[in-house]
Order: sequence, then structure tokens, then C-alpha cells
Amino acid sequence: MSAQIKPINMPKWGMEMAEGDINSWHVEIGAQVNAGDDLVDVETSKIVNTVTATNSGILRAIVGQPGDTLAVGALLGVLADANTSDADIQAFIASHTAAAAPAESSTPAEKSSTPAEKSSPPAAAQATTAAPAPAKADTKPNAPDAMSKLAAGADDSGVAASPVARRLAAEYGVNLNNISATGRHGRVSKRDLDAAVSAAGGQLIGAHTASSSHAPRYPDDSTVKATPVARRLARDLGINLHQCRVSGDRGRVCKADVEAAAALHNKLQAKPSSTATEVAVEEAFELQAMSGMRKTIAARLQASKQTAPHFRVQIDAELDALLAVRKQLNDANTNAKISVNDFIVKACASALTRVPAINVQFDGEQVKYFRDADISVAVAIDEGLITPIVKQANSKGLIAISNEVRDLATRAKLNRLKPNEFQGGSFCISNLGMFGIKQFDAIINPPQGAILAVGAGEQRPVVKNGQLAVATVVSLTLSSDHRIIDGAVAAQFMSVLKGYLEQPATMLG
Amino acid sequence: MQQFDLIVVGGGPGGYVAAIRAAQLGFKTALVEKQHLGGVCLNWGCIPTKALLRGADVAHTLKEAAHFGFAFDNLSFDINKLVAHSRNVANKLSQGIAYLMKKNGIAVIDGSARVAAKGELEVTLNGKASRYKADHIILATGARARNLPNIAIDGKRVWGAREAMTPTALPERLLVIGAGAIGVEFASLYSDLGSSVTLVEAVERITPAEDAEISALAAKAFSKRGITVLTNTLVDALDSSGEDTIALLKGPDGEQRLSVDQVILAVGISGNIEQLGLESLAVATERGFIKTDGFGKTNLVGLYAIGDVAGPPWLAHKASHEAVICVEKIAGVDGVKPLNKDRVPGCTYCRPQIASVGLTEAQAKSAGHEVRIGRFNLNANGKSLAINEAEGLVKTVFDSQTGELLGAHMIGPEVTEQIQGFGIAQQLEATEHELMHTVFAHPTVSESMHESVLDSLGLAIHQ
Repeated sequence: MSAQIKPINMPKWGMEMAEGDINSWHVEIGAQVNAGDDLVDVETSKIVNTVTATNSGILRAIVGQPGDTLAVGALLGVLADANTSDADIQAFIASHTAAAAPAESSTPAEKSSTPAEKSSPPAAAQATTAAPAPAKADTKPNAPDAMSKLAAGADDSGVAASPVARRLAAEYGVNLNNISATGRHGRVSKRDLDAAVSAAGGQLIGAHTASSSHAPRYPDDSTVKATPVARRLARDLGINLHQCRVSGDRGRVCKADVEAAAALHNKLQAKPSSTATEVAVEEAFELQAMSGMRKTIAARLQASKQTAPHFRVQIDAELDALLAVRKQLNDANTNAKISVNDFIVKACASALTRVPAINVQFDGEQVKYFRDADISVAVAIDEGLITPIVKQANSKGLIAISNEVRDLATRAKLNRLKPNEFQGGSFCISNLGMFGIKQFDAIINPPQGAILAVGAGEQRPVVKNGQLAVATVVSLTLSSDHRIIDGAVAAQFMSVLKGYLEQPATMLG
Repeated sequence: MQQFDLIVVGGGPGGYVAAIRAAQLGFKTALVEKQHLGGVCLNWGCIPTKALLRGADVAHTLKEAAHFGFAFDNLSFDINKLVAHSRNVANKLSQGIAYLMKKNGIAVIDGSARVAAKGELEVTLNGKASRYKADHIILATGARARNLPNIAIDGKRVWGAREAMTPTALPERLLVIGAGAIGVEFASLYSDLGSSVTLVEAVERITPAEDAEISALAAKAFSKRGITVLTNTLVDALDSSGEDTIALLKGPDGEQRLSVDQVILAVGISGNIEQLGLESLAVATERGFIKTDGFGKTNLVGLYAIGDVAGPPWLAHKASHEAVICVEKIAGVDGVKPLNKDRVPGCTYCRPQIASVGLTEAQAKSAGHEVRIGRFNLNANGKSLAINEAEGLVKTVFDSQTGELLGAHMIGPEVTEQIQGFGIAQQLEATEHELMHTVFAHPTVSESMHESVLDSLGLAIHQ
């Protein structure tokens, strides 16, 4: 009876996602989840995002443990009803594990069946836990000695480590200074910690089975004829309409049919999940956990500064001609409200076409030279910032770019961008001109190769032909990754960009 | 200059709903209102007239008390108390909107707004102007009563809707010009309260937007009540210089002079598009209303219009629905569809009430449908007889090939509360089959809906 067993798989967010790190689970084994509930936070090289349930059921097993790196499609956990036997759950996990190649090179010894011994007080629901608790690994005779060596050392609070690794280290009593880091962004990962503890003969806390993809049990039911109520009910109960008998009018699945199918599969019971509450302590500050977005910004920009040797080139461009064209365009078109920044997007797109060596992504080994200029535009939002992309800006007109940027910025502020609208991009623009900032440097948005920082367009004294004059001037600063972009190329790009901005008609070509 | 993500101009049922939906979606939202939150609907329209019409119902019930065995002397009526009830209800609801704005974190800006530039509003209050910026500006400025070339509302002898709902004395003889929803409601109200009412309509039938059979029944019921109904009739001139106001009426039987104490002008509405700065920004308008696409977007970047100012049907619930569609489209909510105007119900609160949704028989035929018509008269409905209001009809229009419910048209007691049944059926694309197999409770007026559907196939039980 595997029909009612539903896998939770590693999702694929974006074209380039191949694997993800398990951060933390939102639900415990034994808890009832409904379709749409948050299940588990997964971190990719780009974002931390939450996997939500597509079905309802009871979380019977957690396969992907915090700290694990698993391939797209890999089995993360198992949803089923209360009546499904543990043996069936085990068989289900085994069938998926057997078929899958491990996503990481962890040794078989590290693997065992599921559940977490460390999970908080055993609830009644855990009676349904999928597998027996793993046998505890025997501690080697010399373990206390080796483990105490791991514990020694100076304050390790400054060591870069994943949250999971830091928590586990505290439980093991291990000093992070003693662990060699191989995790993402140079952090100590759970794997590093497990390896060190195993090597020292320590006993591992919790272990896991990595496994991989699997196919849905029933085909898509969107074409099955059903009444609106039946379709909604089936979705909510996690019933596929193919599972239902058809007794409604004109061959439609009706509400009673879905209820019958649900009763058959005992889908209707629910169990509230309990959460531990912490005692708040009055402090002189407000303590806030980092949001997923904040963590992503922190990790990516730190990695960028640490790995990409930034160098900067700066140039000033006069905007008076551009401002005149902007006024003409805006006055002549009711559907146009083109900003100076929109011109800069367009000018960058043109300049990137002329100097393609800037229009790149670099993963540390290979350089991708993009045919189109997909320009990320940094947008400040309440939680931090996000960089929606104007795709193929080189083949779009100013009005189209302007209206697209406004739509992207609107939806960015509402957190309504789709992943493919902010993941990727071949170049980035950050503009702080609206705050009156004259000039600033930006950090490259990896894996891109360069970022342009745009200051305020302002009237400044300039010297022309030996005469003092007034012009509207903007200061532009390009930060480039010297591993792949050299100074002369960056300078050439900036000079071309300046040309487009000062003679906007040349962008029409 | 203060900046918002989205600013709504106008606090009526279009504007305040747009602001709330925007705030729910996370927009930093402001709402500009020059007078009353709640707009015409709450303050000078739908709600206060329904409060007055309740008084008309009471008057009617008292008149037929003898039929049920009651007799009494010294019945008196103070119209000021009825008006006070109506104003209290309006004020209460307007305060409710202020609370909703606060609860949703919406900034309410008092004053009159003008679109000063793309993405920019100028709001003037007591001669002082302030400017605001927003990427998205929604105009929901509503509409107002229209004048005729030769007859204008003056607030004295000629009332518009606003004056007509705040009378200080009951006019003895009343002329209502225009027999659309607003005209017939006032004719019905004042007739029940005791005025002698003449209702004049330029075209060949009253409630011209309704199905012709419904119009005919309404005219018959009105005549029976003592309302003089004159169709195909124009008011050629109005002389209010003397003690009486003299109307020169030109109808199919020639000219006649009518002496009245009061005139109500209800000949349609025009959009509030003036003083909004639309002309200088070349915002497209059509016949006095702002032109929009199916999602409220105008031809000017970042400018949207919803509700009455964006054209017919001029109904509060249409405005509210357009508000949600417009805001959700801006926010990129999945699956937003333009409003299907054939599924907007219309309700008229005269006695008997009129309610309809979808196409009339004539509209359905001219749209090329082969139709099947169901009819059921309320004089065969037990509940209608029991409450002594057995005047009425439920008419259903089905596409004879697909069984789709194209339209439903009702006249009778509380039909405004029943039309929703047909509205839901339409939205779910129900056919006559589902409606036939739905159990309607007995005894109810709405059983007639069922019978009408059955009649479309010649299967009605009680007629």
C-alpha cells in the first residue's frame, strides 16, 4: 500500500541548481502537515528557501538531516497517513535509496536509517516513527583521548561554520578551531565535524540515509472531470482524482467520491504539532534571528569579498544630453516614465555588447561569456535587497526596459518575484543616487564578474576648453573580479559606457 | 515629497477596497479623499436610500394592516425621523471605513487630488497644495448625477439624489424624471410615503436596462400603486417661477402641463473626470469616462481607473471587484482575470424589487444564442401568497444547446437577496441540469427560481 506514501523531494529552484544543503526542518516526525505548510529550509548557492508540502499527511520519516547536501530530486522525507505501517515506510525509503546514487561521498558507515535521537521529547506521535533507532556506534578505546584533543583550543566563536555544525560542535564539546573546513563558503560543515568526530572515534549524533529521485504515484489529475468542490477537497486531502470512483453527474467526480477515497485511506485525521517555547529575557536590545534573505546576502557577499579580488575603476559622465532626450521621450509618450537609471541599464546593455569580456559569470574554474546582457538591478526592500533581472536588455527599447524595471521593483517590494526573475544575470547595477550619494563602491554579485555603482546626477563645475562651466555629472564606479577581468578591459568598458551616456543617440545603433 | 508604492484617489467602494487590498499585499498605500470616506455609496447612495426605503416598507405594511385584521387611529409620520435614521446609518459606516484604513496601515490624505505628472499627485486642502509620488496611482473618483440641457439640479425645486434623500417635508405632488434604477427607487419611496408621483421616461419603457417583460410588470405594479407612469415622454420645459412648478411634457399623446411641488432629476450619471489633470497628460477618455483595459490600466504609465469613473455598469460591487482585479494585476498575483461584466448582478430596490444578472432575452438573441426561456409567476408561489406579495416573475434565459444560464431576471419580494443563487450558478458554469437537481427549501419565494428553471424545459410543477 504505497499509494498513500508521499515523498518529499529536493526541489529544483532555477536552472543551475544541482544540489542543496538541508538547513533545518520546520516540523517534527509525527506531525500532521497540510499542503502548503513549510517543511524544511534548504540552502543553495544562491538562496535559502523553504520547501513546502505539496500533499498533506503525517511526517513519518526525515531522510535529509540538517547539514546534508543532497542532489535535486533526492528524497528528503516521507509523508504518509497514521495507518501506514513502519515496514511500508522503510520499504519505500529503501526502494528510493536503492535506486539512487548518493549525492555526496559520505562513507556507508556514516549512513543508517532515519530518525533523530536528538529530537526533543518523544511525543506520542513518534510511536509511528518510520524506523527503529539506529544502533549507537561503538566508541573506540582511544576515543576519550582523541575527543579531548578536539575539545581543546582558543575561543572558536569567530570560526566560520554552518549553524548546524556549530550546534553539533557544542553538543560534542568540540572546538571548531580543530576542524578543517571544506563546506560552502569555506565554512565548517556538518560533514567536516562528523568526519573529525568519527576519526577521533567519537560517537555520531544522528545519522542519515541519502537517497534520490522518484516518480509520482499517480499521473496529473487536472484533466479528470470533477466538480469544483471535489477538486478542491481532493487537493486539500492529498487525494489524486484518479484514485476516486466517478459517481457524479455527467461523469464527474463529486464530493462524495473524494470523501470515499479519503475514508478508504484514512486521510481525515489530524494531529496538532507541539512546539517548544523559549523563555524571553529582557535585554537592552532586540535580538533577531537572521532572515533567510539576510543569511544569503551575508554569505554571498562575504564569499565575494573573500574570493574575488576586487579592483575599481571610476569615471564621470555628463548627463545633460541624456536628460534632454529623456524629457523628449517622456513628453512624447504617455506610456513612458523613463528614469536616468533606465538609461544606465540601456547604456550598460549596449556597452556589454561592445565589451563582452565584462558580460560574464565565473564559478572559480570556468568563465561563461553571455550572448545577451541580462542586467540585475539592485532593489532595496524591507528585508534587505534583491536583484531582479532585466533579461536581454540589449534587445529592448528604453520604454520597455523602464516599464519592466518598474514592474520588477514593485513585485520585489511585495516579495512576489519568481526565482527565475532574480536568479542569474550577467551584470549588476546598484544605484544610490536617489539618496544624494556622490560615489560608492559595490561588491560583486557572484558569480557575476562585475558590478556598476551609480551615484547621484548633480550639477558640478567642469572645465571645458580651459573655461569653467556647469554640467550635470554622474560618477560611475565599476568593481571587477581581477581573476577574469583586467584593468584595461574594465577601463575600455567604462569609456564605452561614458560615450553612450554622453551621446545617447549612439545607443540607437 | 512623500512617496508611496500606491495611492488611491477616492474613498468610495472602489477606492477603499483597492487601498485595503493593496495594503494586504504589502504596498505602502495612501488614500486621498476630499469629503467622506465611503464615497457616494455609503454617504449619499446605496446605503442611505436603503435606510429610507425601509421606512417605505413600514408605510406599506401599515397601509395593508387592515387586510390582516389590524385597525388603528391617529397614525402619524415624521419624515425628519426617517431621514435621521438614514443619516445615522451613513455616518456609522463612514466611521467604519476610517477604522479599516487605520487597521490596514493606510495613510488617509484629506483633499482634492490632481495628477500633476506621471507618478505624481498634487493634493489640495484649503488652498494648500502638497505633492506625493507613487509608481501606481488608481483613480476611483466616481460619478455624479447628470443634468439635462434644459433642466439642471438646483437643490430647491429640482432635486438630485442627494437632496432627495434629505427632505425636510414630504412633497405632495412629485415629478421624477428618468426611470432608471435611481428614478424608480425614489418614485417608489415617495409614493409609499404618501406623495402623488408622476414618473417620466424618455424611452419606451421604465427600467430600460432590464428585460422587457420585467419592465412591463414593474410599470403595471407601479400603475396599480397609483404612480403615473409616462414613457416615450420628454420634459420639454420646466417653469418653477410660480408657486407651483409647471412641467411641459411631450408624449405620444401630445403635450400636457403638469403642476408639481417637487422634481427629482435622475437621468443618468457622468464620471468625475474634471480637475484631475487628465487633459494635460493626454489621458484617454471616452464619453466622459476614463478609458481602461480589462485591468483598469489607462494609457498613461502608472495610472489606473476603476469603478464609476471608468464606465458602466455604475454599481458599487462592480467598483469593488475592479479594485481587487486592478491591484492584484499590479502585484503580479497569479490567475487574475478581467471582470466579466455579464456576471455583475444589478438590483433595484423599488416595490416590487427587481434583480437580474447576465443577458436579457433580447441581448441573448442578438448575441446569436438560440435560447430556451423559463418563466414562473409568483402568484403560483405559496410563500408569496402568504406574505400577500404575489406580484412578480422569475425569468430564466438558457442557451438551448449548451444549457448555460445566460441570464436571470426577477421581480418580486426580496428578489435582490435571491439573485445571488443564479450568480453563483453562472460563475460555476452550471447548466439547467444542476439547477433542476438542487433542492430549494419550501416554503420560500426562491422556489420560484427552481420552477422557472423547470419551466425552461416545460417541466414546471406548479403552473
